[in-house]
Amino acid sequence: MIYDLVIIGSGAAGLSAGLYAGRYRMKTLIIGKDFGGYTSIAGPIDNYPGAKSVDGFDLMQVMKEQAKEVGAETVDDAVTSIQREGGCFLVSFASGVTHQASTIIVGTGTEHKRLGLPNEIELTSKGVHYCVTCDGPLYGGKKIAVVGGGDASVKGVNLAAEYAEKVFMIVRGNKLRAEPINYERLLAMGDKIEVLYETEVKEIVGTSRFEKVVLSKPFNGSTDLAVDGLFIEVGAFPRTDLVVPLGVELDAKGYIKADPLMRTNIPGLFAAGDVMDLFSGFKQDITAACMGAVAATSAYEYYKVHGDLCKVHLKTTGE
Amino acid sequence: MPTVTMYTTPTCGYCRLAKVFFKENNVEFAEKDVTVDLAAREEMIAKSGQLGVPVIMVDDAVVIGFDKGKLSQLLGI
Repeated sequence: MIYDLVIIGSGAAGLSAGLYAGRYRMKTLIIGKDFGGYTSIAGPIDNYPGAKSVDGFDLMQVMKEQAKEVGAETVDDAVTSIQREGGCFLVSFASGVTHQASTIIVGTGTEHKRLGLPNEIELTSKGVHYCVTCDGPLYGGKKIAVVGGGDASVKGVNLAAEYAEKVFMIVRGNKLRAEPINYERLLAMGDKIEVLYETEVKEIVGTSRFEKVVLSKPFNGSTDLAVDGLFIEVGAFPRTDLVVPLGVELDAKGYIKADPLMRTNIPGLFAAGDVMDLFSGFKQDITAACMGAVAATSAYEYYKVHGDLCKVHLKTTGE
Repeated sequence: MPTVTMYTTPTCGYCRLAKVFFKENNVEFAEKDVTVDLAAREEMIAKSGQLGVPVIMVDDAVVIGFDKGKLSQLLGI
């Protein structure tokens, strides 16, 4: 199949791009492995203008429906490779299918970072977790520790504190980097949440099950902190492995580099959402959706000028 | 039709994805909320060896997480 546009990623950036591309009457396919990206597992979203306290999953469902209503196709699958031949992109999927695309929008988002400590991988889901909204409720009446001082971490802590007996936040810096409203909610939890500033996790201890962490400095006279569960929310890195072989330019932090119109250095290939760092670390559904819309517009403008490159490619290769 | 049981929590997004998948494919399933059903929680740990949700049982086969490919294969979809 030849598409005018293939959008890789079905989070806010990809789905927004699909809506706009559909309205531009581009034959569009949105492919994503994890529907809705992080938004779908983020829990309640209170800061998306126009949607009052909506569950992230529901918000992504509406975005998907909007895109489909204007003709965008969606598929749950993973892209395994992208090749470029004569101005046409060949996009291969894990299911074995290969489609051609005149333009591509990369909205692959990010992957959560690990601490990189021994035992971390072995004990994942055995007391070590990366999604407080998903697994926090499993620790009702128990003690947990959350590593990380960003907004996502604070939001997760606020949720977990509704279930857990006690939540320890292990923060490398000397302050939390959260929206003030989320910080206020944390403070309102009182003694249930204890923040350990300027502290890091040095060891993750456990054999068949997580048992405790060893801290970089003592807390209550000991560097051992025994809790029932450990949640790691220390940021993310961009998923760029698909585009690096194409020669897409990355910035100093490894994010896809694109101009304000979401154009990369590869003609016909655009980026949107958290796989870029356009706003210096400020990554929200609203920024992703905006970037998706801009990327779709740029793809449309490119397509109008360059035409149906894949059909040209087929003619020149005699396929 | 295989017997399908899913262990979930109320805030688990991947659990919701799995439910949508089952609904779209007319698959009946039983749901056990492991935040309130402590026996189900122990059952899940015993069967899967871990605490992450969802855990989906298709007859005796254990699927950890929403693994659409594996589920499709086990359910013959």
